[in-house]
Amino acid sequence: MSFGTLGLIVMVIGYAAGASVSLLAPSDRAARVLTAIGAAVGGIGGSIAAASVLITRVPVETTFASLVSAAGGIAIRLDPLGAFFLLLVAIVGLPATVYGITYTGEYEGRHSLRLFGLMFNGFLLGMSLVPCAANVFTFLFAWELMAITSYFLVMTESQHAETRQAGLWYAVMTHFGFLVLLPMFLMMAPGGGATAFADLRTHAALMSGPARNVVFLLALVAFGSKAGLVPLHVWLPRAHPAAPSHVSALMSGVMIKLGVYGVLRVVVDFLGAGPAWWGGLVLAAGSISALTGVLYALADNDLKRLLAYSSVENVGVIFLGIGAGLVLHSYGLHALALVGFGAALLHTLNHACFKALLFLATGNLLHEAHTRNMERMGGLIKGMPQTAVLFLIGSAAAAALPPLNGFASEWMVFQALLSGVQIPQPDVAIGAPLAIGVLALTSGLAAACFVKAFGISFLAMPRSDGAARAREAHWSSRAVMGVLAAGCVGLGLAAPRIFDGLFRIAAGLSAAASSASPPAVGSLWLAAPNGVAQVSPLLIAAAAVLAIGVPMALVRLRGLEWRRADTWGCGRIQQTARMEYTSSAFAEPLRRVFSELYRPTEDLSINVHPDSRYFVRSITYTSAVVPWIERAFYDPVASGMRAFATQVRRLQGGSVHLYLLYLSGALMAALVAAWWFK
Amino acid sequence: MVADPLSQLVMLGSSGMLLTALIVLWRKGIPAYVTAYRWQSWLLAAITATVGYYGHDPQLYWVAAVLLALKGIAIPALLRTMQRRFGAEREATPYVNTETSLAIAGVLVLFAYVIARPWMTITNLPTRQGLPLALALLFVSLLIVVSRKKAMTQVIGFLMLENAIALLAAVGTYGVPLLVEFGVFLDALMGFLVMQIFVYHIHETFDTIDVEALTRLRH
Repeated sequence: MSFGTLGLIVMVIGYAAGASVSLLAPSDRAARVLTAIGAAVGGIGGSIAAASVLITRVPVETTFASLVSAAGGIAIRLDPLGAFFLLLVAIVGLPATVYGITYTGEYEGRHSLRLFGLMFNGFLLGMSLVPCAANVFTFLFAWELMAITSYFLVMTESQHAETRQAGLWYAVMTHFGFLVLLPMFLMMAPGGGATAFADLRTHAALMSGPARNVVFLLALVAFGSKAGLVPLHVWLPRAHPAAPSHVSALMSGVMIKLGVYGVLRVVVDFLGAGPAWWGGLVLAAGSISALTGVLYALADNDLKRLLAYSSVENVGVIFLGIGAGLVLHSYGLHALALVGFGAALLHTLNHACFKALLFLATGNLLHEAHTRNMERMGGLIKGMPQTAVLFLIGSAAAAALPPLNGFASEWMVFQALLSGVQIPQPDVAIGAPLAIGVLALTSGLAAACFVKAFGISFLAMPRSDGAARAREAHWSSRAVMGVLAAGCVGLGLAAPRIFDGLFRIAAGLSAAASSASPPAVGSLWLAAPNGVAQVSPLLIAAAAVLAIGVPMALVRLRGLEWRRADTWGCGRIQQTARMEYTSSAFAEPLRRVFSELYRPTEDLSINVHPDSRYFVRSITYTSAVVPWIERAFYDPVASGMRAFATQVRRLQGGSVHLYLLYLSGALMAALVAAWWFK
Repeated sequence: MVADPLSQLVMLGSSGMLLTALIVLWRKGIPAYVTAYRWQSWLLAAITATVGYYGHDPQLYWVAAVLLALKGIAIPALLRTMQRRFGAEREATPYVNTETSLAIAGVLVLFAYVIARPWMTITNLPTRQGLPLALALLFVSLLIVVSRKKAMTQVIGFLMLENAIALLAAVGTYGVPLLVEFGVFLDALMGFLVMQIFVYHIHETFDTIDVEALTRLRH
């Protein structure tokens, strides 16, 4: 038995045991620990399987034809692409599991931790099985397991009306995606009950052009709704804040990435990429998501919602990579196309790492400051210095600062987009620079966004009592965050080596491009083949260490002393928290520039003394962003549904005879129909 | 045309069963309904036994015996107890009056013959003459359930519907296995018991077994 098979068995048993044993736990405390043990064993098994497949490059295959034989049985095939995503589950899943042991402590006695353990392990199992699935039934089963368990995890704090609403949005959007998945698979199935992915792949190659286009569009909508592409992103900024923080880390770090997996699997693997407009459409969707995501993130004061919008942005960046790859593939530039797909995979990995770190750190802030609103935080660096440093590393990675990992992957997406200029076609010549511009703008805005996220929450003076009393979280949660932060640095430094591996995974997807060799630039330089520029994260890091280390060493050698002093207070004698820069104030210039997008509502009320209007008692300023994009898309749907439901309610007359009459009428109609179409 | 005796007997029995259903449409007293139901059940048992005799299927004798015991004796007895309690309430003002009901029933019988025609052309069972009659019985039972107001009448309508399904099974498949018959019958029995409880509750809550009163539950 190979390591791959063994790992998969351990994985399934671990998660299944974690789910069932935690349900039988004698106490809440035991449930917390048992949940974590099961999830940890499952995660380790999953990473063994994934690592063995990634190293040996030999897929692991098993089928259980007798299990649910009516639907084609359970079929497992873990190839390098699947193994990459399975590894992603473990990379985020293990830290989130350990973090959850202490984090769920506050739920003791308030929520059922036994059911939580069942759902948590079920969620991890579902996410792990999606990339292992090798037939339609297994895929849909795992997909639905993941969707349903995550719904219950989002609903953990269902006593809040906001959470219940988030759950509704999430359930509707995820099932909408499922509804679109079914016809997509049906169209690719060759008929005769064959639903194995291998059959789908051979049949997809024989399909007519229009049918392939329809499958592509369905795949983009179905997986885009899971990944959070605008305008299908509406559930993200609702569900991520509502879920417990380590669940948010898993949803944002891994679950939405399975949408990326789906697109790569169906569009690149099954359909073998397609005409250039497919890539153009993906590029457009990615650009819009990246820009809208980061702009909404900038304007938000809720830290978790900010991170959720930032996930929309990063998914946009990933889709920019995929889109660039599809365009280049359609023009026969296979090696460059693989740079695009490889960059998308690299950003998937990097985003999982830093976003998980940021969500876990935010969980600590929420736990201490008892609010998600940044306007009520501030000065947290004094109470929780280690969390602050870890959050800063995550923010710097999210802002794509070199030499951290976010930089490496965005750089490679840039390289893929820049390669587009080699195509002498007017539409590409216009589209590629536009996408480059959008990506550049997005990167800049993301940097501003994370300056705000870190600065407003951690720096200056505390704006509330909770923030003033904040203390460091349990050492175990800081330790796992440390591991993720080390991952952010390590993935950044080792990016050329990792990119090389991801390039090979992408090469395995497309038969046409399988012969393309990765750019031979060693482990030092990040560059595309025939690229115009190259960059080395390792050298940048070395330069940065030198730039800080040499002056420090000089100071030491010369025997100069460190001096601590107050920040310059603009000459004011007493500083209060009310004088500080606020989150809204930080975003105000951008709110003006992009007022057409935000359409902010502003409300200024000044309470003056009755005797003289020059004596102001208080000023209240509130400003809210109107999410008109959501309203434009979803209000007609919602009102249509409501009108339809009102019409349907008329059927309910309240009379038993009426209902019986419906029943008889339906029977008669069925008989007449059978007679008519005999 | 010299029809074989089985076909003749099935026709006779099925017509008799349809006739008992029509009785419910033009009589107004609940005791008459119970009697009609008893006659119908006996006819059903007789048809089943006939099919068993000509089809050389001794299992059907058991089916017939069980039908006779439960539908022909036990349930009518239970209905009698219910009728003694609520029997004073007559089906005075149904939604559809007697004349129209009978006219509709006539249309339904025609409809059943139309619907059953394609079925009858593809089967050559000796019992196929009973198919349209069984369908007609089914429709007429539905008409009873829909158009009558008293809970007792509706229960009897439901039981006749169940008889129609049993008849359809007997003539359409040349006798059903004992096991299937038992399954269907236990279903119907459960339904009947639940309905019996409901009738008592309706009477307790509204002081009548007029189902129209249930409309008041809507808010």
